Amino acid sequence: METIGADIIIQILREEGVDVIFGYPGANTLPIHDRLINSEVRHYLMRHEQAAAHAADGYARATGKVGVCIATSGPGATNLVTGIATAFMDSTPMVALTAQVSTSLLGQDAFQETDIIGITLPITKHSYQVHDVNNLAATLRQAFELAKTGRPGPVLVDLPRDILSSKCPAAEEKAAPALKANYKTEEDREQLEMIAKTLNQSERPILIIGGGVKLSNAFLLVRELIEKAKIPFVTTMMGIGSVDSINGYNLGLIGTHGNELANSMVHQCDFILAIGTRFSDRSTALIEEFAPLAKIAQIDIDPTSIGKSIKINLPYVGDIRDALTALLPLIDAKEKSEWLQRIQSERDAITGKVADTGCGLAGDFIRMVQEAMPVETTVTADVGLNQIWTVRTWQARSPRSLITSGGMGTMGFSLPAAIGAKIGTPERAVVAITGDGGFYMNIQELATISYYNLPIKIVVINNGHLGMIRQIQDLFYNARFNTIELGSKVDFVAVARGFGIPGSRIAVDKDPQAGIEAMVKADGPYLLEAVVDPENYVYPIIPPGCSNIEMMYDRLD
Amino acid sequence: MLKKAREQEQTISILVNNQPGVLSRVGGVFGRHGYNIKSLCVAETTNRDVSRITLTSESDPDFTEKIKKQLDKLVDVIEVSDVSGQSYIQRELMLIGLTVKEGAYSDILRAIELFGCRIVTMTPDYFILELTGQPDETAAFLKFFQSFGVEEINRTGSIAIERTKPQRRI
Repeated sequence: METIGADIIIQILREEGVDVIFGYPGANTLPIHDRLINSEVRHYLMRHEQAAAHAADGYARATGKVGVCIATSGPGATNLVTGIATAFMDSTPMVALTAQVSTSLLGQDAFQETDIIGITLPITKHSYQVHDVNNLAATLRQAFELAKTGRPGPVLVDLPRDILSSKCPAAEEKAAPALKANYKTEEDREQLEMIAKTLNQSERPILIIGGGVKLSNAFLLVRELIEKAKIPFVTTMMGIGSVDSINGYNLGLIGTHGNELANSMVHQCDFILAIGTRFSDRSTALIEEFAPLAKIAQIDIDPTSIGKSIKINLPYVGDIRDALTALLPLIDAKEKSEWLQRIQSERDAITGKVADTGCGLAGDFIRMVQEAMPVETTVTADVGLNQIWTVRTWQARSPRSLITSGGMGTMGFSLPAAIGAKIGTPERAVVAITGDGGFYMNIQELATISYYNLPIKIVVINNGHLGMIRQIQDLFYNARFNTIELGSKVDFVAVARGFGIPGSRIAVDKDPQAGIEAMVKADGPYLLEAVVDPENYVYPIIPPGCSNIEMMYDRLD
Repeated sequence: MLKKAREQEQTISILVNNQPGVLSRVGGVFGRHGYNIKSLCVAETTNRDVSRITLTSESDPDFTEKIKKQLDKLVDVIEVSDVSGQSYIQRELMLIGLTVKEGAYSDILRAIELFGCRIVTMTPDYFILELTGQPDETAAFLKFFQSFGVEEINRTGSIAIERTKPQRRI
C-alpha cells in the first residue's frame, strides 16, 4: 500500500505513544479508520461524539497522558464541542481530530461541512486546518506538544478528506517544531525568596491546592512543603486528591459548596500560598470579601491565571514542580503553631455543630460505596448534587482517583469519562456516580460499556429531580419549583438490562448495603440505582452574591 | 459584558504569523473580554511570513497588561507591544468628503493650508481631502471641519513604528 495522509496520522499517534483513541467514523474519516485496521492503535467506538471527547478527557485525567478523540466533519465535529470545552476549562491535555470536506469544497457549504475551527476558537488552546499533506506530520507533532506543554489543554486538528487520502512519503523522524519562547519560563529567584520569606514570617498561613498540582505531578513536593512548614491546606474541586489527607492539615474543599472549616480558616489566615489555581468564582464566592486579612502568593504556569480575578501580592509564573523544588530549601522547618491549635479547636466546634457530612443519607451512601470498593478505585462524579456529595464524602487517596468536570460543570460527563478512565487504567476499579438528570444526557454510553464489557460500576442517584436546581429554587426562589421534575416512571434497572447490563435498585434510607454488595460482586458492568429524597440537599451552601463565610445550614437560615 | 469605562485609548502593535484565521483569533480575545476595537490595521512586514496588526481600543487601565498576556498565549502571536508611549511614532491617514457651502470657500482653503492637508479631488461644491497625522491631529482636524459639513470620512486607524532602530529581527 502506498503511504497516504492517514498513514502519517497513525505514524504520529504511535510516535506520541497513543494506543487508544475514542471516536465515531463518518464518510470523511474513512481514510483514517481504514488504516487503523492494521495499526496498533485501538479505536473505541462510542455511541455519541460528545462521549468520545469526554472519554478522551477521562482517559487523560486518569493517566496523565494526552487523550485523543476523532469525529467526522459537520455534526460529528460539532458534537465534540461540549467535550472540548469541558477539557479546556479543566486544562486536560487533549488532541481532537476532526475530518473535514476536501479542500476543493471548503467554504461551499458542502455536505457535512462546518467551520469547526471557528466554532471551537474560544475553547481550544490552538487549532489547525491542514492544507498540505507534507505539513501533516509537523502539525500533528506540534498539536501534541502544545496539548501537554505549559498549561495543558485541547488542541484541534481539522483534516480535509483529500489530505487524508493524498499520497505522500512517510514522515521523517524529527522532533516537534520548537514552541514559542513564552511557553517556557526562567526561574525568578528573587520572587521565590520573597514568597519564602513571607511564608516563614506569617503566623496564620494556608496553602490552596488547585488542579495545577495534578497537571504538573507535584504531589510529593507539595506534601513535603506541608510537612516542613506545618502549613494547613485547602483544595479547590480540581485539587482534590493531590495530597492525601494528612491528619490535621487538610481543611477540606473551599468555595460555594465547600467545607465550613476550609472557608472559615481561609477567611482568618494572614498568608495564602496558592498553587495551580486560578481563583475561580466557585472557589472564592464574593471576591471582594475573600481572605480579607491575607497576603496572597500565587504560583501558576499560565500568566493569564495570575491576578485574573484577585489582586496577587507575590505572583510567580512557572511550572509548579520547578518552583517548589527551588522554594523548599528556602522554607523554615516549623514546629506546630498556635494557628494549628486554633484550627483544631474550630474543627472540634464544627464537628459538634454539624452532625453529618452535610450531604445527608446520599453522602452516607457514597461513603458506603467507597468502603465496599477496593482502595485502588477511581470515581467519576457528574454535575449537580451528586458531584458535591461525592467530592465532599469520597476520600480521594491518590491524585488521579477523583475525576469530575469542575470548571465547565458538564452534566453527562461522568459515564463517558469513566469509560476513558477504565480503558486508561484497567488495573483500577472504576465507579461512575451520576444523578438521574446527568445520566440521561449520555445514557447511550451504556451500549459502549456493554459492547466492550467494561467492568464499570454505575451508580445512579435518583431523586426524580434536577436536585441542585431544586435546592436553589427552594432556598432562593421561595420554593417556586418549576421545570425540575424528571419523574419516577423510568425504570433505570430495566433500561440497563435492555443494554445488556445487570443492575438493581435500592433506597438509601432502607438497606443500601445489599445492592452495594451485588454491585461490587458483579464481574462486569453493573448499574445500581439509589433512590434518595429530593430534599436531600447539600449544606452548608453559600447563597449567590455572598462571601465564603456566609454559609446557610438549612432553608430557615 | 461591555466595558463602560472610556478612560483611555490604548494602541498596541502585534506581530503575528501571516496566515489565514489569525486575525479572528486576535479579534476574539478582545471580544471575549468585552473590549471594543476602535481601529485596526494589518499589513505584511519586511518578513513576508510575519504581519503587523496595529490596534486601538478604549479601555480601563488594566487593559494593556491583561490583554497582552492573553494575546501572548496565542500560538500565532510573536510579539505584543504597547505603542501608546513616547518611544513610538504613530500616524493615521484620513480621507474626508466635504460639502462646500456658499461663502465658506476661502475659510476652507485657509484651514486646508493650516492643517497641511491635501485636496485629492474637487468639484465646485464637494472636496475630498487627505490628511496624515498623529491621532490627536486627525481628531482636531475632524472636529474643526465638522462645522463645514463633513459628508463622509474614512480613516486607516493608527499605525506605529519604533522611534529607534528595533532590537528584534523578524
